[in-house]
Amino acid sequence: MARNDRVRILVGTRKGTYIVESDRTRRRWKVAPVAHEGNEVYHVVADPRHPGEVYAAVNNMFFGPEVQRSRNWGKTWSEIATPLAPMRKEREFQMNESNPGAPVARPLNNLWHIEPGLPSEPETLYLGADPHLLFRSRDRGSSWEPIEAINQHPSRKDWSPGFGGACLHTIIIDPRDSNRLYIGMSSVGTFRSEDGGKSWTPTNKGVEAPFLPNKFPETGQCVHHVAIDAKDPDTFYRQDHGGIYVSHDRMSSWKRIGKPLGDDFGFCVTSPAAAPGKAYFVRLGGRARTTGEGHFQVQEWTDKTRTWRKLLLAKAFPGHFGVQREGIATDNLAPAGIYVGTTTGQLFVSPDAGRSWKLVPFQFPAIHSVSVGNPDPR
Amino acid sequence: MAPSLEVHFDNWLREYGPRGRESVEADSVARLLDALEARYPRLRFKIRDETGNLRRYVRVFVDGSDVSGTTGVSTSLDGAKTIDILHSVAGG
Repeated sequence: MARNDRVRILVGTRKGTYIVESDRTRRRWKVAPVAHEGNEVYHVVADPRHPGEVYAAVNNMFFGPEVQRSRNWGKTWSEIATPLAPMRKEREFQMNESNPGAPVARPLNNLWHIEPGLPSEPETLYLGADPHLLFRSRDRGSSWEPIEAINQHPSRKDWSPGFGGACLHTIIIDPRDSNRLYIGMSSVGTFRSEDGGKSWTPTNKGVEAPFLPNKFPETGQCVHHVAIDAKDPDTFYRQDHGGIYVSHDRMSSWKRIGKPLGDDFGFCVTSPAAAPGKAYFVRLGGRARTTGEGHFQVQEWTDKTRTWRKLLLAKAFPGHFGVQREGIATDNLAPAGIYVGTTTGQLFVSPDAGRSWKLVPFQFPAIHSVSVGNPDPR
Repeated sequence: MAPSLEVHFDNWLREYGPRGRESVEADSVARLLDALEARYPRLRFKIRDETGNLRRYVRVFVDGSDVSGTTGVSTSLDGAKTIDILHSVAGG
């Protein structure tokens, strides 16, 4: 296969998938024609183990969700197997009001996140879905198995959906050990498995749930997104409904770091490969859920010095911007490229770790997610 | 013997395989959809979800009457002649 020197921003929007391409300088960007036009695309992700392969979580409001795959960097797409919601006969959490004792089978609502496995498991994919479901494929998406130990976790009876639905939106695999998995679910929190998904432990210690009577429950926190540190896989950065947190012990405990920012609400977080120990957040006002300062801003956390830095001047991009949970991403180049998509369709790009910023000159629909298809290492 | 029905699909649903006009023998909406899904496997889970019920924004009309919000998939097709399967007015 030809060497890949292109950087691609994979953009999932309320009206389709866009692939935005540049060279390594990341100065000029070209937007390819929309795919999945008219569909809600919650996540688009490249599979680095199979160059050119891209997966999309496509949610059609009329005809339901589909997993789609491209094998040519998004030029053409096709539907592959889409998992079905298990027809659970017990521990149903949605009540049939006309017959409260009867179990209710629920359909799969939306697909939220697709996570390629480690290089050591080239055929493995994970998929997070609503209502609070995790699936694994061992054959590159030709079939899916529900991971029942989390889908039927005893605490499920207490789970409820957030505003975005009952979404399982974060899936992280420890790069040292494919059996160590982490997930995040709205209005439920994070869990860790040490045995490839056979058992799961809640990992929300220290995270506040300001919307519950018990402010520090075992589960019930509304995690919005989590990023793993590129060099230290025991370190995680968490944007939660209840603030911004860091963990240095595989999520066993969390420390709140966002208080110096004031209101540390937000949805997204990323940590770049080229800058371990740093994490980027877009702080939002907790009421309006837009950038409260009146302009676009990205906050940089440096874990070693435990300090925050704002990356943009107030005059750069005035306005109120919303950014969703998958709305920020970084590439694997040095200096890191940072990419932020907004709910009003702007795509901000920094090719130099936040030193300079520009807008991709294209008005997108509301952006749900951005991720990066990286070029081959030099 | 189940009646022979003329089934009309809109252009969005035709992307999953069926022609605009299909001929099917069935005595209920559920059996009609079973037959159509067997003929066009990509239709599975597009009109009905995994519970077997019609999706929220799909409408089934039996001889011009919308049965989606009433008898749904259990609707009898005895004496029916024409079925329209359409996506509903929704979105923005």
